[in-house]
Amino acid sequence: MLSWSGTEQGLEISLENVQNTTGGVGVSYARELVDFATAATEFDLAALTTARNNLINVAGLAVAIDASAVIANFEMMTRLADSTGARMQTEVVQDRLAVATAMGVDKVISRR
Amino acid sequence: MSVISVSLSDVRADLIFAHEQAWSALSQPGTWWSGAQKRELAQTALLAISESEPSPPWVAASTVADKNLQIHFASSAAHDAVYRIARHAATLTSDWYQRVTQEIEPLAFIELCGVVCTVATVSAFRRALDLGIPELAPATLGEPSRIKPANVVDATLNWVPVIAPADENAAVVQAFTAVPETNRVIWAMADAQYIPDKEMVDPHWTRGTLSRVQMELVATRVSQQRECFY
Repeated sequence: MLSWSGTEQGLEISLENVQNTTGGVGVSYARELVDFATAATEFDLAALTTARNNLINVAGLAVAIDASAVIANFEMMTRLADSTGARMQTEVVQDRLAVATAMGVDKVISRR
Repeated sequence: MSVISVSLSDVRADLIFAHEQAWSALSQPGTWWSGAQKRELAQTALLAISESEPSPPWVAASTVADKNLQIHFASSAAHDAVYRIARHAATLTSDWYQRVTQEIEPLAFIELCGVVCTVATVSAFRRALDLGIPELAPATLGEPSRIKPANVVDATLNWVPVIAPADENAAVVQAFTAVPETNRVIWAMADAQYIPDKEMVDPHWTRGTLSRVQMELVATRVSQQRECFY
């Protein structure tokens, strides 16, 4: 989805950069958004506070709130997918394998 | 560095409404679980998500004495499944599902997954903004409806059964369809949190805050952190 939406908007997205938490090329506030998503999914509350403040300072409160909503959504959807055994058609997996490899999730248990 | 505080009054009304509806449902009779059972399972999900030193995936949480799980209305198997999904979802396998559904009927399992999803999403949103996790309402008395849709079938793209026709939609879209109320609550939240279903095909859709590609960047990072291949 990220590759697709980036291409549609004329942006080249580096998935390796997402894996390395350096953000995506050409995406506004990428660094702050990735830092915020990372901190929100880990247990360091000081890091989360810092990341949230940084995002609000550069992008505004409304952006931080909607970023939190997206984070929340994928805390839900990842559990929905993994608990119900959701999988993609074999041909879709093949199409997306390069992306999964770039993201470092090609060998995870949840690949089924 | 001064901390910028966020208030609930800063949050979009549609998002607040979707969360309130889902959160209150955690204490109300559902399709396969009573309000007391759902509330108790939600408490276990909250514990699993918040523990800094969780049980490993292969340990049944109900067997760990110092966790002090409150197991009064739902079975230990249900609590163990909730804990595992809430904290270790990426480790789940088909064998695990087969074992769990020998003790929990598949449609009840789907509703149980919905309880975990609700807890995970609302608590993640609140925690990200330092808003505090809301209290669970007291359980509402009453029996679950136990209404099973007529057209429940097995699927190829999910372990769980779905409403026919199977596999015509994406696996995540069909996953909860066999328990319509759970499906409705979860997708109402997804519409408010992410991208409304009807806008999904538009790469330029935005609420005026995050662009589509910014939303996908955040979504990708969370999915990666949770080691979710899907």
